[in-house]
Amino acid sequence: MATILKVTGLKKAFGHHQVLRGVDFTVETGHIVGLVGPNGAGKSTIMKAVLGLIPTNAGTIEIDGQAVAITSHQALKQVGALIEYPGIYPFLTGMQHLTLFAKKKNRAEHIQRIVAGLGMGPYINAKAKSYSLGMKQKLGIAQALVNRPRLVILDEPMNGLDPQAVKDLRDLIQAEAKNGTSFLISSHILSELEKLADDVLVLNEGHIMQETSMTELETANGVLYTLHTVDDAAARTAITAAGLTLEAGPGLTVRQTTNATTLNRTLVAVVNAGINIQSIDQSHPDLESTFLQMVAQSKQKEA
Amino acid sequence: MGTLIGQELFKLVHKVGTWIAVGVMVVIQFAFIAGGLIYPKVFNQAGMITSDFVADSIIVFIMIASTASIIAMEFQYGTIRQLLYRQYYRSQVFISKLITLVIQLVCLHLIASLVTMVASLVAFPDFDWTAGDHLKNYALTQGGETLTLLLLLSAVLLLATLFKTNAAAIAVGFVGYFLVEIAGTILISLIQKWEWLKWLPFTMLMTSSQILTPGLKSMTKLDLPWMIGLTCAYTVLLTVISYLSFRRRAV
Ligand SMILES: Nc1ncnc2c1ncn2[C@@H]1O[C@H](COP(=O)(O)OP(=O)(O)OP(=O)(O)O)[C@@H](O)[C@H]1O
Ligand SMILES: [Mg+2]
Repeated sequence: MATILKVTGLKKAFGHHQVLRGVDFTVETGHIVGLVGPNGAGKSTIMKAVLGLIPTNAGTIEIDGQAVAITSHQALKQVGALIEYPGIYPFLTGMQHLTLFAKKKNRAEHIQRIVAGLGMGPYINAKAKSYSLGMKQKLGIAQALVNRPRLVILDEPMNGLDPQAVKDLRDLIQAEAKNGTSFLISSHILSELEKLADDVLVLNEGHIMQETSMTELETANGVLYTLHTVDDAAARTAITAAGLTLEAGPGLTVRQTTNATTLNRTLVAVVNAGINIQSIDQSHPDLESTFLQMVAQSKQKEA
Repeated sequence: MGTLIGQELFKLVHKVGTWIAVGVMVVIQFAFIAGGLIYPKVFNQAGMITSDFVADSIIVFIMIASTASIIAMEFQYGTIRQLLYRQYYRSQVFISKLITLVIQLVCLHLIASLVTMVASLVAFPDFDWTAGDHLKNYALTQGGETLTLLLLLSAVLLLATLFKTNAAAIAVGFVGYFLVEIAGTILISLIQKWEWLKWLPFTMLMTSSQILTPGLKSMTKLDLPWMIGLTCAYTVLLTVISYLSFRRRAV
């Protein structure tokens, strides 16, 4: 599959503060790529660099094979973006904003589609200074999407959106991705990103620590089983004695990944020890726990 | 480029302030026309007509505000990223804004001249444009004032671009304007003491006066062609500095 965005060895420092220390990743055509990382990791900085808005210290950025820099913007013809907060002229209506930015070709149709998709019909002809936070956010997203660009960059797009709007946005993004649009989306709402993204980039300490597909992440993380017994302490000894590893924490939790015998061996060990099992809970470790684990690990390394 | 200018004009015409400014200008023109009719002795008819019934000064204020906000507003409203991430060069974005300002200036002058012409025909039928130096004076006044205005506006643009806020730039524009009106005499007396001061851009704010009153040369110690040339040069210089600060700025 073709690559729409390729970032190689991207470095960026603000004064002495080295924010990006060599960032490499790609976005494939038609993929929705999630970019996650702690506050201040440099997610918005990466996006600004991709859009040629800030000078960088090293590295290359290519959109569809064309280099992008603060002084070369031709490749950005194919790109729509919303960075950090929407840019809104208070004296224009929502409709006027979209008219202003939409290309002439099929303008009315494009505007109509995006207004309907995000449910902005009731207030699209009101002046933007009267908009609420979420209404402004939707207008910002609509401006990024209205020209049906091939690459869309959204920084925290769910900011301030109500649950219905979040779902509308998700449906819209997925529909566009099916038509071949690629997305780079940063978000702290990991549960939402999980539903949406094909690939995930984890940014920490100036590097992309992990670049995986969502399915790979799920398989790698496996499934967690938590046992409840009449005597958890004794069960814990039995399970450990059988050579199995329990997850950290107070509960009796084992993780079954590629080795599909883990659960069975755990149960055998407990039953053989003569301990009654009362119930078993099953859960999938999510992006959130992976994320927290990764950040905790890097903190430990520092300490 | 055409697209960019179109977008700038779209924003301009959809701002209520743009139309209020035009309205205020015309109302003031009418007030002075009425004044001229009621108190023909108090108002100098020829002078009023050649200055477009005070519209010239109103245009200065309107253009100072407009210049200060055309770039600063993009920072203020957070729209600067949307404006700059697209396929255009920053130079194109910058120049499209300059052209928009020039278009606005020309339109304001056209409206003001139109009102003046009609008013002079209807309200002051005795006024004969072809007599004496009226037409020449009118052209020289308008031309000279536009020249100084452009210099003033380039300074306003530079400040607005550097500080990303229109308040400081508007303040400097107004102060600059009153500097010409009031502090011109101070500057002139300073030039008599230290002649090199005449090369400063402030002196060029008197170009329009010297065009109309060539005798000012003994005060400014500059020949008119020099003054006109320097006014243009300073305007270009300040505009280029604005562009350079805009060109590589992280947004
Ligand atoms: N203009 C700037 N000047 C100085 N430092 C900056 C500037 N912009 C960003 N930084 C620094 O760069 C780092 C990364 O900022 P960035 O906004 O990219 O983080 P982020 O990952 O988007 O964070 P968040 O999740 O909070 O949005 C931060 O430490 C920030 O302080
Ligand atoms: Mg951010």
